[in-house]
Amino acid sequence: MLKGSNIHKSFGDLEVLKGIDLEVAPSEVVVLVGVSGSGKSTLLRCFNFLEHINQGTIEIDGHEVNPKKDKLSKIRAEVGMVFQHFNLFPHMTVLENVIEAPIIVKKMKKEDAIVLGKQLLEKVGLSDKADVYPSKLSGGQKQRVAIARSLAMEPKVLLFDEPTSALDPELVGEVLEVMQQLALEGMTMIVVTHEMKFARNVANRIIMLDEGRIIESADPETFFGNPTHERTKQFIKLVD
Amino acid sequence: MELLKTIFEVFMNTYPGFLEAMLITLQITAVALILGTVFGLMFALMKISRSRILQTIANVYITIIRGTPLIVQIMFLYFGITTLVVLSGFWAGAIALGIHNGAYIAEIFRGAIQGIDKGQREASSSLGMTRAQSMRRIVFPQALKRSIPPLGNQFIITLKDSSLVYIISVPELFAMANREAAQNFKSLETYLVVGGYYLVLVMIFTYLLRWYENKLDVDK
Repeated sequence: MLKGSNIHKSFGDLEVLKGIDLEVAPSEVVVLVGVSGSGKSTLLRCFNFLEHINQGTIEIDGHEVNPKKDKLSKIRAEVGMVFQHFNLFPHMTVLENVIEAPIIVKKMKKEDAIVLGKQLLEKVGLSDKADVYPSKLSGGQKQRVAIARSLAMEPKVLLFDEPTSALDPELVGEVLEVMQQLALEGMTMIVVTHEMKFARNVANRIIMLDEGRIIESADPETFFGNPTHERTKQFIKLVD
Repeated sequence: MELLKTIFEVFMNTYPGFLEAMLITLQITAVALILGTVFGLMFALMKISRSRILQTIANVYITIIRGTPLIVQIMFLYFGITTLVVLSGFWAGAIALGIHNGAYIAEIFRGAIQGIDKGQREASSSLGMTRAQSMRRIVFPQALKRSIPPLGNQFIITLKDSSLVYIISVPELFAMANREAAQNFKSLETYLVVGGYYLVLVMIFTYLLRWYENKLDVDK
């Protein structure tokens, strides 16, 4: 589904990713963990081409993406992204946020988009907020709208960049619940998060990044029960 | 007390002429603002474009216009252009004011566009929008709203700056004040009266602007 090979990424002199190989199978849920600065968010952003990799290749559905030749907007439409700070469009209502991309990018008819948008809002439990502006929502509600907005493009993969890190603790659960539901429905997901309970319960695989390299990649049971790398052991001690 | 009386006399004697002149002030301001907004948008777009050439053109324009006095620009345009085409003082003045304002309005728009959180662009990119689509649908509407207070300020400056076109004999408010003062020998009172006209116009405009800003805020 999504395959990165030998991904290198530098910002100036600082090499953030030092050769990452990662393949995600359809319907797989991969959780990326690591201390801050380990490169996990950067890796996610590379998969969505918000950052351009310096070396290596990224394949989506067997097609190797060439950022110079391919239309990146087309590729990005297939890879959804949910941001830490939601990035909802403040000048549009909740429903407008969700239907904007299908109408503008996919040229979907407005009536059809509205039907789709309402379905998705129901899915994330926000049917009653369709005509409200984002400024009137709580953080958890905003993030659920952002998820619905990504889903409206029917992406092949959904990337989550610390989706609950900006939320008050009592609002984290409602967002994780929606994500867990998506995982159950077979959505392919890569999630950067510090929510270890979510990782343990939902992930098929947990990957530990350290200083731009993958140092551990295992199913949750092995990851938490029998990690191989010393840094992973320290990390688990810190977060658990 | 004596002064107030003379001011009132001057006001009563001059208001027919001043009202007519006020209309010209408003017209020239309106034309200047429309031109200024069009130029401003155009040069703001050039400045944020990825083309070096367009950026340079916009920078040269803004540097020259902001770096020279408006009165020089008015004179330059009036005596420069009228050697090529016949242009009335009104139009020369309005165009000069428009070009002048364009430079400031370009900076207002550029600032507003670049002030939009980059997360907005990233979100729209991640949904598959092209740069142009995300500009048109996501960034501009938000930037435009954010430009309204500084634009209003610029509009007020333009209204007052329009008095400078008296130098090319456009019969607007300030020119009228000069003419009246030369005839009635009551300079102090006459200029106080004309100042009052500008003040009232600015206050009306400020009020309308505040009403509009509140309306926008409620809508959001």
